Amino acid sequence: MTTDDDTTLWWARYRAAGPQRVAPASAYPAGMTRLVEPDASAVWLLPALPDNARPDVLDELGLAGVAVDQPNDTARVLAACLRCCWTEPSGPVWPAAPAPYDQVVAVFRAVTGNRDERALHAAAMGAARRLAGAGWVLFDEDARVVRLGPRVASWSAAELSTLRELWRSMPAPEREA
Amino acid sequence: MTIFDTVLADLNERHRDEVMAAFAALEHGREPVAEAQLLALRDATVRRDLQRLLFRMGRTLVRVGSTHWTSGFRDDVTAQLAAEGATAQSRVDRAVLVLVLIHSVAIPRSQGLIGGDSWTSGHPTPVDELTRYTQLPRGEIRPALQRLRAAGLVQIAPARGRAAPTDGPAYLPGPALHRLTKPARERLEHELILAAAPDSPLAAAIRARRPAAAAAVATPTRTSTTERNEDT
Repeated sequence: MTTDDDTTLWWARYRAAGPQRVAPASAYPAGMTRLVEPDASAVWLLPALPDNARPDVLDELGLAGVAVDQPNDTARVLAACLRCCWTEPSGPVWPAAPAPYDQVVAVFRAVTGNRDERALHAAAMGAARRLAGAGWVLFDEDARVVRLGPRVASWSAAELSTLRELWRSMPAPEREA
Repeated sequence: MTIFDTVLADLNERHRDEVMAAFAALEHGREPVAEAQLLALRDATVRRDLQRLLFRMGRTLVRVGSTHWTSGFRDDVTAQLAAEGATAQSRVDRAVLVLVLIHSVAIPRSQGLIGGDSWTSGHPTPVDELTRYTQLPRGEIRPALQRLRAAGLVQIAPARGRAAPTDGPAYLPGPALHRLTKPARERLEHELILAAAPDSPLAAAIRARRPAAAAAVATPTRTSTTERNEDT
């Protein structure tokens, strides 16, 4: 395979199965962002799209994007993950820090208000799994730990500044002593 | 140099913008896009540049009906990804998808209720139908449907027009099925025939045609990986 074919396959793998996790020393194609895991054990590959080829172009064209189940709760749980994991919002959003899942649920509870506890937990778990399936968060269900996923690195500078404002407006998680 | 720079370097600014907009519309959009809406779909010259860009990413233009377009995987890239096992769907998810396709497309087509070779359909598959006769563990069907829904491979059928409101939820094939190329649609049909009626004359005919096809995939010629496809 030539280099061109290699690049083609990397884009196709991303399209088929989401951000690709590879060994740190692996060759990687031009035009892809390389995200190093905090312990340098692996690298995520994420294609870099030019501004006018990104999903927000759909809004300008009046076209529908991919449908998300329970979009409001899913967005709230992503916001809660961001509030708990992005401990230094003045800095980059990747890799951020791991946070206990219960802390994320507590922030979710604080922004959703009065809700039956069982329904709240079901909504939070459904949303966390959905976000993990799409690569927005990394969710270790056994250890009950959440991290931001590699896809957050695709947010543009403008999107990040909006998210920083959102971050400030959200209730702070209770950190363990 | 990124793929975008390489492919679009020779275009003027306006055409480059048109190609990028169409790329975003086809790759990120949920449904196929009307040709009339975008110059890069309407104009055959600009469309060729869009196809060149998609091609470099392992994708290709797919025509839907006579007026709409979407994008899908190139057939040679599909073969490569399948050989690597790079698929997002688990075995259970794929099994549930096939059941929906059998009930919503294969059976109505065999009865002459739908024509063409599309894998989309207006014939709902009730969830009850999936759970009652399947050999899959029942508890796995609901989460599988959720994941397939997130991938656009199935969608909930609108309640209107169904036999009775007490039927419970029903599913249709999702908009992502539009992304199958013509050879991919045919492969899916052949695989279903081989699985459902392996002893039928039709299955024998498909098997008889296979060795030649397999050899063609193993030694791709320059023409089989061209940047054009039959649609463009």
